[in-house]
Amino acid sequence: MANRQLTFSIFRYNPHTPEIKPRMQEYRLEELPGMTMFVALNKIREEQDPTLMFDFVCRAAICGSCAMLINGKPRLACKTLAKDLPARITMFPLPVFKLIGDLSVDTGTWFRHMSLKTEAWVHSNKQFDPAKPEDRMDNETALKIYEAERCIECGCCIAGCATANIREDFLGAAGINRIARFMVDPRDERTGEQYFEIMGTEEGAFGCVGLMACDDNCPMQLPLQMQLAFVRRKMAAVGWKYKPQAV
Amino acid sequence: MATQQKLLTRNPRADMLVDLLELFSGLFLVGFLWTHMFFVGVIYFGANIFDRFSIFLDKYYLSYIGIAAVILVFLTHLVVAGRRIPNRYREQKIVWRHARMIGHTDTWIWVFQTITGMAILILGSIHVWAVTSGWPIRAMISAGRMTHFLWFYALLLIISEYHAGFGLYRQFVKWGWFNRHSVGAVLKTISVIIVLIGVGIMWVLLRLGGAR
Ligand code: FES
Repeated sequence: MANRQLTFSIFRYNPHTPEIKPRMQEYRLEELPGMTMFVALNKIREEQDPTLMFDFVCRAAICGSCAMLINGKPRLACKTLAKDLPARITMFPLPVFKLIGDLSVDTGTWFRHMSLKTEAWVHSNKQFDPAKPEDRMDNETALKIYEAERCIECGCCIAGCATANIREDFLGAAGINRIARFMVDPRDERTGEQYFEIMGTEEGAFGCVGLMACDDNCPMQLPLQMQLAFVRRKMAAVGWKYKPQAV
Repeated sequence: MATQQKLLTRNPRADMLVDLLELFSGLFLVGFLWTHMFFVGVIYFGANIFDRFSIFLDKYYLSYIGIAAVILVFLTHLVVAGRRIPNRYREQKIVWRHARMIGHTDTWIWVFQTITGMAILILGSIHVWAVTSGWPIRAMISAGRMTHFLWFYALLLIISEYHAGFGLYRQFVKWGWFNRHSVGAVLKTISVIIVLIGVGIMWVLLRLGGAR
C-alpha cells in the first residue's frame, strides 16, 4: 500500500520580524509507519525549512514542551500519530501563551506566575530535622497527591479553555489542579481561609464556567472535572462561613 | 496591587456569592419552567378544569405572586449569569474563533447558552406582556394566542428548555457530584420529555382554537 501524502499547513510568524505578517505555510511529506507529529516536524525542518520553530525535549509525553493546536485541538505533538489524522493537518501555536515564533510558545512564564500565585509549595511551621524519619502518609492520600502531580504543565487545558482565552488572570485547570494537590496534602498547614484568598475568586474556582475543554483535552487524562469540582465545593464550604477581617 | 480603592471595596466573598446567586436563581427558574409546564398541562383534562385551576390560582393571589417573583428572579439571573457573556468586540471574536477552531461540543453548547439566554429575554418578555395584557388566563384566550402565534411559542418552548436543560447540566458539571456524561444523558431525556409535553399542550390548544 502506498504511503499517504500529508499536507501540513503551519502557522508562521516571527515576532522579531514583524514586517512579515502572520501567514500559513504549506509543506508536503510522505507518511511513514508510526509517524508522530514530532517526527514529521523534524523531517520538515531537516529537509525543507530550517527556519521552522517548534519545541521538543523528551519526545515521550513527559516534558510538556511540544503542545500545539493540531487540527484545532490542543495536543502533544510527540504523542499524536499521523495515522489518527486526516491527510491535511493544520498546526497553530497554543493560544493564551506568549508566542516565541511559529509553533513555539513560552509556557514557562505563565506556569511560574501560576506557581507563585497559588504558592505551590508545602507551607509548614515544623522545624525540619534531617536526622528524623519522615512522617508517614497513608497510601490513599499519597495516590491522590500523585494523581494531581502527574500534570506535565503542557498548557493544553489553558489553551483549550474559552475563559482562559479571554481572561488573562484566570488560573485555569492547571492552577486549580495545583491547589487541589496541596489541599489534600496533610503536610501543608494552610487554613481553608488561606486557600480561599487564592482560589475563592473568579481568578480561581469561581471563574470556571464548566466548559470542560480542559478535561476533554488533557493529554495526561487527569481527572480535571473532579479536581475543579473538588476545589469549588471546598471553597464554597469555607467561603460560606468566612469572616474576612476588616481593613 | 493594593490601591486605596481596592482595599476599601475588598470583599473576598463577592465572586463566590455572585456565583451562588447564579446557581440558585437558575435552579429557581428551571423549577418554575417545569412547574409551569405541568400547570399548563392541566389543559389535557379539558378547558373547564384548566379555567377552574386558573381561577383557583388567582383567588389566592398565587398567580400574581408567582409572576412577580419570577420576573424578579429572571432579572437577577440576567445580571449575574449575563456577566459571563464576553461583552467586548475582541472577546466575542476570540470566543467564536476559539469555538470554531477547537470543535468541542461543550464549548459550542455554552455559546448557544448565551444566545438562547438573550433570546429568552426578548421572547419571554413578549410572552409575559401578551399574557398579562390579555388577563385573565383562560383556555380559550390561550387557544387564541396559540393559533395566532404558533411559531413564536414553538421557538420559545425549544430555546427555554435547551437553556434550562444545559444550564442545569453545567451546574452538575461544575459541582461534580456525578459523572458528567451520565448527567448529560439524563437531562437530555428529561428535556425531550418536557418538550414533548409542551408540543402536546400546543396541539390541544390549537384544536381548541380551531374548534371555536
Ligand atoms: S516533547 Fe516532551 S512532551 Fe512532547
